[in-house]
Amino acid sequence: MRATLAATLAALFAAAAAAAPAGAEDEGPTFQIVFKGGAIEPKRLEVPARTRFRLEISNEDDTAAEFESVELHKEKVLAPRSKTVMVIRTLDPGEYDFFDDFHPGAAAAVLVAK
Amino acid sequence: MGMPEFNTAFVVWRESIEALLVIGILSAWIGHRPEAERKAGRAWLWAGVAVGIVGAVALAAALVTVGEELSDDAQVWFQTAIVLIAAALIVQMVFWMRRHGRTLKRELHARLDDAADRSNWIAVFTLAAIAVMREGSEAAVFLYGSMVSAGTSVVRGVVAAALGLALAIATYGLLQAGARIVSWRAFFRVTEIMLLLLAGSLLLTGVDNLVSLGLVPQLSGRMWDTSRILTDSGALGGLVSALTGYRAKPVLVQLLALGGYWLLMIWLLRRPTWRTA
Repeated sequence: MRATLAATLAALFAAAAAAAPAGAEDEGPTFQIVFKGGAIEPKRLEVPARTRFRLEISNEDDTAAEFESVELHKEKVLAPRSKTVMVIRTLDPGEYDFFDDFHPGAAAAVLVAK
Repeated sequence: MGMPEFNTAFVVWRESIEALLVIGILSAWIGHRPEAERKAGRAWLWAGVAVGIVGAVALAAALVTVGEELSDDAQVWFQTAIVLIAAALIVQMVFWMRRHGRTLKRELHARLDDAADRSNWIAVFTLAAIAVMREGSEAAVFLYGSMVSAGTSVVRGVVAAALGLALAIATYGLLQAGARIVSWRAFFRVTEIMLLLLAGSLLLTGVDNLVSLGLVPQLSGRMWDTSRILTDSGALGGLVSALTGYRAKPVLVQLLALGGYWLLMIWLLRRPTWRTA
C-alpha cells in the first residue's frame, strides 16, 4: 500500500503540472536585483504589497549565486553571468530578508513591501 | 575574509549533507541486513546514487546553458514534485526499517523475492537518486562557477572542491562508524528521527513552493519571530532549517503542515502493529 503512495503522488503532480497555466501574461511591475562581487545590489528594495510583481535577478559574477529567502518561499540557483526572472504573487506589508546562499559570509538584503 | 576556500567547501558540504544523511543511513542499515540481502540492497543504493549524479550534472548543465529560458514556475513545479516524493519515500523507508529492524538477522533468507521487498529496493534506488539529484545539481552549478572563476586562481577551485569532498566523506564515515560504535539500536533510533525530521523539512519546502505558486494560502501573517534566537537562513540557521523544517517567522499553513505531519508520525510510531503493504 505504501509502496503505491509515491507513485500516486507522482501521478498527481504530473497531472497538476500539466493543468497549471503556462505563464500568466500580466505579471506586474519589474524590479532589478544584481549579484556582483559576492554582494547584493540594492541592499534594500521597495516593492508594492499585495500586488503581483517580477524580480529580474542577474548574477554578474564569474561564480554561481543562489537567491534564497525562506520567507519569500524562494530558492533559485544562478549560473555564473546569468539572469533569471522570479514572480512574487503577493506579499503582506513588511520586510523580507533574502540572501546569496552561495556566499554565506555576505550581508543579507531586504525586500520592503509597502 | 580569512578562509574563502573553507567557506566554499562549507557550501558544497551543506549542499550534499541531505544526500549524505540519506545514503549514509540507508547504507548502514543495509549493512545490518542478512548477507543475502546486502548485495542486492547495496546494488540498488549505489545505482540510485549513480543515476542521481548523472541527473544532477544534466540538471546543472541545463541550468547553466538554458537557465534563462526555463520558466520560473516550471522549475518550482519540478522541485515541488521532487521534494514531496522524497518526503513520502523517506517516511516509507523509516517504517519499512522499523518493521524489518525488529526482526533478527538470521531471519528471512527466503524472502528475497518477496514483491513488497523488491518494491522497497526500488524505493531505496529512487530515494538515493532524488537525494543526490536535488542538491547535487546546485552543488554542480556552484562548483562549475568556482571552476570558471578559477582563472584567477586555479588552486582555489581545486582546494575548495577537495575540501568539500573531504568533509562529505568524513560525514559519511562518521555515520558508518556510528553504526558500528554506538549500539545498533541507539543508532537506529537516532537516525530514524533524523530521517523523519528531514522528511518534515522536505514536506515544508513543498508546501512553501505551493504557497509561492499561489495554490495554497498562507492563512496568516507571521505568527511569531524567533530570528533573534536563530535565523532560518545563513550558515547555521540555513542548515538547521534544511534539516528540520525550522522557520523563524512561520505562517499558519506551515504550522499546520508540520504539526499535522508530526502528529501523524507520532501516531504511526506509537501504533504497536504497523503492518501494511
